Amino acid sequence: MSTIAGGRAARRQTMRRIRPRRSPAVPLLIAVWAGAAGVLWLWWMNTPSLADNNAKILNAGRITGLLAGYLMALVVLQMARVPALERRVGSDRVARWHAMSGRYTISLVVAHVVLTMYGYALQAGKGFGDIVGQTVDSVGQLPDLGKAAIGTGLLVLIALLSMGPVRRRIPYDAWYHVHLLTYAVVFLTFWHQLSTGNDFVVEPTAKTFWYALYGSVTALVLWYRVLTPLRLNLRHRMRVEAVIEETPGVVSVLITGRRLHRIGAEPGQFFRWRFLAPGMRFSSHPYSLSAAPRPNMLRITVKAIGDHSSALRGLRPGTRVWAEGPYGALTAQRRSRGKVLLVAGGVGITPMRALFETLPGAAGDLTLLYRANTTQDLALWDELAQIAQERGARLMYAVNSPEGERPDISADTLRRKLPDIDRHDVFMCGPPGFAQQVYEALRGAGVPARRIHHESFEM
Amino acid sequence: MKKSHPIRRVVLASAATVSGIVLLLSLKPSSGPAGAVADGAAPPATAAAQESPQGGTGQKAGATTVTGDATQTQYGTVQVRLTLAGGKITKAEAVRAPSGGHSTEVTDDAVPKLNQEAVSAQSADIDAVSGATYTSGGYLKSLQSAIDKAGG
Repeated sequence: MSTIAGGRAARRQTMRRIRPRRSPAVPLLIAVWAGAAGVLWLWWMNTPSLADNNAKILNAGRITGLLAGYLMALVVLQMARVPALERRVGSDRVARWHAMSGRYTISLVVAHVVLTMYGYALQAGKGFGDIVGQTVDSVGQLPDLGKAAIGTGLLVLIALLSMGPVRRRIPYDAWYHVHLLTYAVVFLTFWHQLSTGNDFVVEPTAKTFWYALYGSVTALVLWYRVLTPLRLNLRHRMRVEAVIEETPGVVSVLITGRRLHRIGAEPGQFFRWRFLAPGMRFSSHPYSLSAAPRPNMLRITVKAIGDHSSALRGLRPGTRVWAEGPYGALTAQRRSRGKVLLVAGGVGITPMRALFETLPGAAGDLTLLYRANTTQDLALWDELAQIAQERGARLMYAVNSPEGERPDISADTLRRKLPDIDRHDVFMCGPPGFAQQVYEALRGAGVPARRIHHESFEM
Repeated sequence: MKKSHPIRRVVLASAATVSGIVLLLSLKPSSGPAGAVADGAAPPATAAAQESPQGGTGQKAGATTVTGDATQTQYGTVQVRLTLAGGKITKAEAVRAPSGGHSTEVTDDAVPKLNQEAVSAQSADIDAVSGATYTSGGYLKSLQSAIDKAGG
């Protein structure tokens, strides 16, 4: 039994009228498309006519370049940890947007370079085979193109390292630190856009807009990725209090600090944790809070699957902790109904445990379904049982049969256990395969998609 | 939790981008009407005017100017203005020339040379400047039309 039971104070904090907050994803996407349309409009207004194929190729290069420059700013913005994105759209969804738009931007950059250099080669009376020579000539002749070429080289390197098969073979930390070079890429490639881009040379307003776009993204990155974490950690000064083994392979880390109830974390959210211990200093990992924040205590519960999570077991009390957050949108704010079903798969129990303790609701409104391989793997079971008893909530588990057979989680079994399942909000956290299976079962049992709230960090 | 179809997404994104760009390019006219404002909001690029080899600053008494037709090139419009005194070309200048990015460089390099050549050749029989084939071609056409106007 851990030292972190009973959450009346935290529950009172989240006890408020149920008013689901809509994710701002749709208005944001509309703004992004409008911006892209504006960029194309800029090209349209500055291009009188296209005489021949050479002009068409050069202008295709201009369009891809403009779009790539625009998207590059957004790709960085998506990783600026802006609260509206992290806490309302959801960190998982934003990370998927980032991966998708990043790949698309790199494709545009490559198309832009090839088309523009081919166009210049044609203009100089050379052919497609002279692209490399033309690139060398242009880098020598045009302002800022040398920097842009270095930046593009780095970008291609980052892209290669992020491709599935390569990515799986290199350690996460190495990949992450190479990925940070993207900031250098953005800086190096920015200047040639203004000095050689036709639309920015002839259109001072466009130039101003471009400065504003890149300037505000830079400001947001500095504010939310540098200053905000700095302030948070100076204010709360967190340290490891104790490490507790919950079940074989699952540990809880208790973290103390000053005024932790003022850290602004809601149950269901996570922080990115960096433990200032030898060998762990340079990597930060996202772990959900497995209990509502107390004035002097936070808790995370982690399953040893990677190097980092295994090393947590050896943490000494007193180790300093650097945290960034809170992030994540899987909170009580998503809820739209009185009744809630929480579904946890394995160590996905952590945010569900915090929500189970704090989601407002009368006796009988809350149900938690906990899936694990065996009953020994049901981490935190004792405290879940205690919460269930205190709150009059239902607690169910599904484990493999002694023969290793998987439990049947289907629309029918869910409906049999919870006849009014279609009147529930469902919060879900677990491995991707499990989440997909439960999602389909829930949809089959009549739960609308908009009331299934889940977080998935699979790309 | 919709199923994701990465391959389908890649194919759709590529197809949409390529067809969007092709559509935009094909909507543009292949050449604008002569004399249309070609450079959008860009101020007309006036390349440095060349003084006549005969000396003399500014326009002499009795000097006339004649402006050639605006000629479209793929990088923008070229238009030549000649200053004539006593039937001789004393000055040639480009009142319009392609500008913006790479074009500005090409123009800054090529137009003064073309001006110089026009004054010394006293005709449109001048060489194109290498690296500025299109701009030179437009310049020659406009120069010829200006000479025709002056002669006619």
